[in-house]
Amino acid sequence: MGKYKILLKAAWKRQKFTVLAIFVMVVIAALCLFSAITLYTSGATAVESEMDRLGFGDFTVWVSGQPEKLLAEIGQMADVESVVQQEIIYAGYEVNGNYSDNEGQLISYDGTIPYHFIDRNGENVDLSEIPVGSIYISPAMESMFDVHIGDTIQFNLSRTNGRKAFTVAGYFEDAFMGSSMIDMKSFLVNSADYEEVLQIMADAAAIDVLGRSGAMLHISKDPSSTLSDTEFYEELQEHTELARYMDFTYRKDSILSYMLLLQNIVSGFMIIFSVVLFVICLIMMKHSLMLVIEQEKSDMAILRTMGLTGSILRSIYVTLYGGSGFVGVVLGAVFCKTLAKNIARGMVTSTGMLVEVRTPLGLLTGVFVICMLVLAAAVFTQTGKILRIAPMQILRETKSAAKVQSPFSRRYLLIHIAVREVLANWSKYISLCLVAMILTVFLSVIGHMGVWLGPNGEGLMNSFSVAEHDLGVQPFNQTVPMDEIERVINWYSPVVEQYELAMQSVTVNGQEYTANVLDDTKWFHMLSGNVCDDNSILITDTVAREMNLQIGDAVRVSASGKTGEYEVSGIYQCANGMGTNIGMSIGGYAKIDDITGYIWCRHYILEDGSARDYVYDYLEEHYRGIDVHTNSWSGLSGIVFVMHMLIVLLYVVTAVIILITVALVAGKLLQSEKSNMAIYKSLGLHTGKLRISFALRFLIVVFGGAVLGFVAAGILADPLIGAVFKSFGIGEFAAGFSMLGNVVPLVVIPVLFALSAWIYSARLSRVSIVELIAEDDE
Amino acid sequence: MEHKKVKTPIISGKNIVKTFGETKVLNEINIEIYDGDFTVIMGTSGSGKSTLLYCLSGMEQATEGTILYGDRNITGASEKELTKLRADEFGFVFQKTHLVSNLTLYENIVMAGLIGSRLGEKEVKERAKELALQMNLQDAVDRLPSQTSGGEAQRAAVARAVMGSPAVLFADEPTGALNKANTKEVLNMFTDLHEKGQTILLVTHDKEAALRGNRILYIEDGRVISELMLSEYGKLPSGTSSCGNDLHERSDDTKNLYTNDDREKKLAAWLEGLGW
Repeated sequence: MGKYKILLKAAWKRQKFTVLAIFVMVVIAALCLFSAITLYTSGATAVESEMDRLGFGDFTVWVSGQPEKLLAEIGQMADVESVVQQEIIYAGYEVNGNYSDNEGQLISYDGTIPYHFIDRNGENVDLSEIPVGSIYISPAMESMFDVHIGDTIQFNLSRTNGRKAFTVAGYFEDAFMGSSMIDMKSFLVNSADYEEVLQIMADAAAIDVLGRSGAMLHISKDPSSTLSDTEFYEELQEHTELARYMDFTYRKDSILSYMLLLQNIVSGFMIIFSVVLFVICLIMMKHSLMLVIEQEKSDMAILRTMGLTGSILRSIYVTLYGGSGFVGVVLGAVFCKTLAKNIARGMVTSTGMLVEVRTPLGLLTGVFVICMLVLAAAVFTQTGKILRIAPMQILRETKSAAKVQSPFSRRYLLIHIAVREVLANWSKYISLCLVAMILTVFLSVIGHMGVWLGPNGEGLMNSFSVAEHDLGVQPFNQTVPMDEIERVINWYSPVVEQYELAMQSVTVNGQEYTANVLDDTKWFHMLSGNVCDDNSILITDTVAREMNLQIGDAVRVSASGKTGEYEVSGIYQCANGMGTNIGMSIGGYAKIDDITGYIWCRHYILEDGSARDYVYDYLEEHYRGIDVHTNSWSGLSGIVFVMHMLIVLLYVVTAVIILITVALVAGKLLQSEKSNMAIYKSLGLHTGKLRISFALRFLIVVFGGAVLGFVAAGILADPLIGAVFKSFGIGEFAAGFSMLGNVVPLVVIPVLFALSAWIYSARLSRVSIVELIAEDDE
Repeated sequence: MEHKKVKTPIISGKNIVKTFGETKVLNEINIEIYDGDFTVIMGTSGSGKSTLLYCLSGMEQATEGTILYGDRNITGASEKELTKLRADEFGFVFQKTHLVSNLTLYENIVMAGLIGSRLGEKEVKERAKELALQMNLQDAVDRLPSQTSGGEAQRAAVARAVMGSPAVLFADEPTGALNKANTKEVLNMFTDLHEKGQTILLVTHDKEAALRGNRILYIEDGRVISELMLSEYGKLPSGTSSCGNDLHERSDDTKNLYTNDDREKKLAAWLEGLGW
C-alpha cells in the first residue's frame, strides 16, 4: 500500500494538470448532460401536473358565452369522465403602447383554482386574494411586451370608452397558455374587478361591445374509454352542439408541446453539446494516456525491474484518470439540479412557468452508469499497454521516429519543420485532428442554426407561417380602402409578390384543425408530394402522424356543416399549432364553406423587407378596420433572444474546449519534444520562430480535421438539426451553405487552435536550452 | 628580425559569477579564449566546467561579470542577439548527440546551415554533402539518428556544429558517451578542424581528449586554478602558469613543445600536481 501511495503521489505531481483538465471537461459534459435531462423531464412533468392540478382536461374548448346545455350534453357522454366550465372574458388589451394581436382572457381569481404566483424575485408566493385594481400576468409577457410589475394594462371593452386599466402586481404560472410561443394570454384579476368588467360590457350598446363573455370547458376522457383522442373528439362533435359554440380547441398534448417548445430545444442542444463534449473527453483521455505511457515507459520499466507488477502500475493510471472521470461525472450529477434550476429560472420569461426541477433518479442513474462504463472502457483499453511493458526491452529500446521524406528550404523552414514533426509523429496528432473535426461539425451545426434562425428569427417564423411574407393586411369590412393601403405599401417598398390566405377552423375526419387556404398554392412550403388542387389537401408531418395518414389517402373535411371528400396530395411545412393544420386551395375550401366573407388576409412580399416595420406602424396608425401583421409574433423576440444566447454560449464553450484541448495536447507535445526544441534553439532558431512552427503544426493538423468536419457538416448538419426540430413540429430544416454555417468553422477552428497553441508555447521562452538539454541527458 | 603576429582574444570573461540558488558555481572567473586555439577545460564533476562553457557561449546567462565576444558584450544580450550568435558565430557539440530525432543525419546537418544566414541555400546543401563525406558519413546520411551508431551520430553532430563555419566551436564532453573507437574518430575530427584553424573550446574530464588541445585550463570550485600549454606561442615559456590573465598578447607562430609521449607525461604530471 505504501509503494502504491508513493507512486500515486508521484504520478499526480507530474500529471495533475492533465488530470485536472480532463476532470474539468468531464464535469462540464456531465453537468450539461444531467442538467439537460433533468430540465427536459422536469419540464414535461411540471407542465402536465400543473395542468392536472389546475383542472385542465384532455381537451380544452374555448366557447362563447356559458352554454349550460352544451355542458350538460358533454357531461352525459359515456366516455367523458368530467367537464368543468371556467368562466372568462375575452378582450383586447393595450400594454406599454402595444396593442395585442389576440384577445386576452380575464379570469376571476377567488382562490378556488390553486394558481402558483411568482414575485419579482422569481420566487413562488402564496396569494389568497388579488387586490382590487391589480392584475397578475404570465411572466412570458415580460419578453413579449416588456411588461414589468407596476406597469399598466388596459382592456378595451367597448368602443365608447369602455376601458378598464389594471396595475401589474405580479406573475402567475399559466400551464396552458403561459409560454411566449402562445399569443393568447390569461390574466388573473379580483372578482370585484371581474364583475366591473362584465358590467362595463353590459352597459355598452351591443354594437359597441368589444369584449365578450365566454368559458373554457375542461373535458376529461374517462380513463376506461377505449376511444382514441381522435375518436373521442369525433364523438364529442357528433353527439353535442360543440361546433356551434366552439371558438377553438386544444388537445393537452398539443399544448404540452407548445409550452415546452423552447425548453425542449434548449435541452436538445444541451444534450447534443454534452455528448460532443463527452466524446472529446474520451478522445483527450485516451490521447493523454497514450502520450503519458509513451513518455513514462522507461520509468515504468525501471519500476518493473524493481519487482512492481504491471497491474500495480496500471492501477495508478486507472486511479488517476478513471478517478477524475468518476468524480467529474458524480459532481455533474450532484450539481445538475442547481444548474437546471437556474436555467429554468432564466427561461421563465419565455416558458411562462417556473418549472419545479425534480431529479429523474432512475434515468440519471442509467445515464450515469453508461457514462461510467464508457469512461472505464476508455481508461482500461488504453492502460492495457502498461501490462505489455517488459522491463529490459524498454530499457534497451532507443527512441526512434518514423522516417518521413519532406523537403526543406530556408524560405519555408518553419512550415517544413512543422510538417516534418506532424508526419513523423502523426499518431500523437490524431486525437487533435478528431477533436477539430468534431468541433467543426458542432460549430457548423450551431452556425446552421444561427443562419436558419436569422437575426430576427425569420427561420422560426417561416416555419410557423403558412407561407413566406413580409406583411399581412386583413380588412374586416368593405370600407377599408385596400387600393390606397397598397399604394402606401408600394411607396415604402415595391411589392414583389402577393397572395391571399385564410385560416379557418375545419375538421378532418372529425378531428379539428386549422385549414390554411391559399389563393395561390405555390406558396405552400412543400416537403413531399404535390401541391393541392380543388380536390385535394396538404397535411403536415404532425397531422400525418396523428391521423396515420399518407399521401394518396382519402379524408373528409368539414366546415360550417358541409363536408367534402379530398385526397391527401402532399406533405407541407407549417409548425403553427405545433403542426396541427392542413393546406387547401381556395377552390377546395369553397366546396365546404363560404369564401366571400372578410376571412382573407392579403400577404405581401416586399422588395425591401426591412421596410415592413415602418409600413406596419403607418397602417396601424392611419387605418381602422384592418388587422396588420408582420411575419412575427409578440413572443418571438424572447425566443429568438434565448436561441441567440444559446448559440453564443455554445460558441464560448467551444472556445473553452479548444483552450483545454490545446493545453492538454500542447503540454504533452512540448514535454515529449523539448529535446528537439532545445536543439533547434541551440542551432540558432529563435524561440519566436519555434513558437510559430509549433502553432503551425496545430494549424496543419486542425485544418485537416476541420476540412473533414467541413465535409461531414455539409452532409450532416441540416439533417441533424432537422431531426431535432422535427420533434417540435418543424418538419423541414434547411440552412444550406453559408459563411457562418460552413466557412467560419473551417477558418475559426484552425485559427483558434493555432492561436491557443502559440500562446501556450510561451513557456518555451522561459526554459533555458541548457536546462532542456540537461533534462534530456538525465 | 622575426615577425610576430599578435593574437587577440576572441572571447574574454571578466569576474564571471554564476549562482544556482544559494550555490555559487562560478566564482569570479577571468578567462580569455584565443582565436585558433584548441582550449580544453578540465575539472572534476561539479567543478563548474560545463557551466563556464555555457556562460561563455551565451547559452547560460552569467549572474555577474562581463563576457565579450570580440568587442561585443554578450552579457545581458537579448535573446534575439544570442540566437543570431548561435546561428552564425557559434557551433555546439554536446555529450549526447542531440540530433533532431525525426530528421536524417543529412537533414540535421543541412538544418544548421538553413537556420544560419552565412551561406546561400545551394551552398548549404553542397557544404552539407562535403561535410558528410569528410566525416565519413556517406553511408549513414539518410538514416535517422536512432538508426545510427553513437560514433556516426556524434560525427554528424560535429558536422552540424561546423556547418555554418562558426568562429568558435563549443564542445561539452563530446566523447563522454562514446566507446574507445568512436572517441578516437571524433577526437581526430576535432584535431583536423583545429589544424584548419578552427577555434575550439572543449570541456572534458578525459585525458585523451585533453591531449588534443594546445591549452588546458583546470577548474576547481568555480575558479580556474591552473593552465598548461602543450603548444608554444612564439617564445613564451611553456608549462604551467596561473590564470590566463597574463597571456593577453601572444604570437600565433605555434609549435609543439613536446613529443606525444612527452605531452602525455606532462599532462599526467600536471594533473597529478592538481590532485587529479
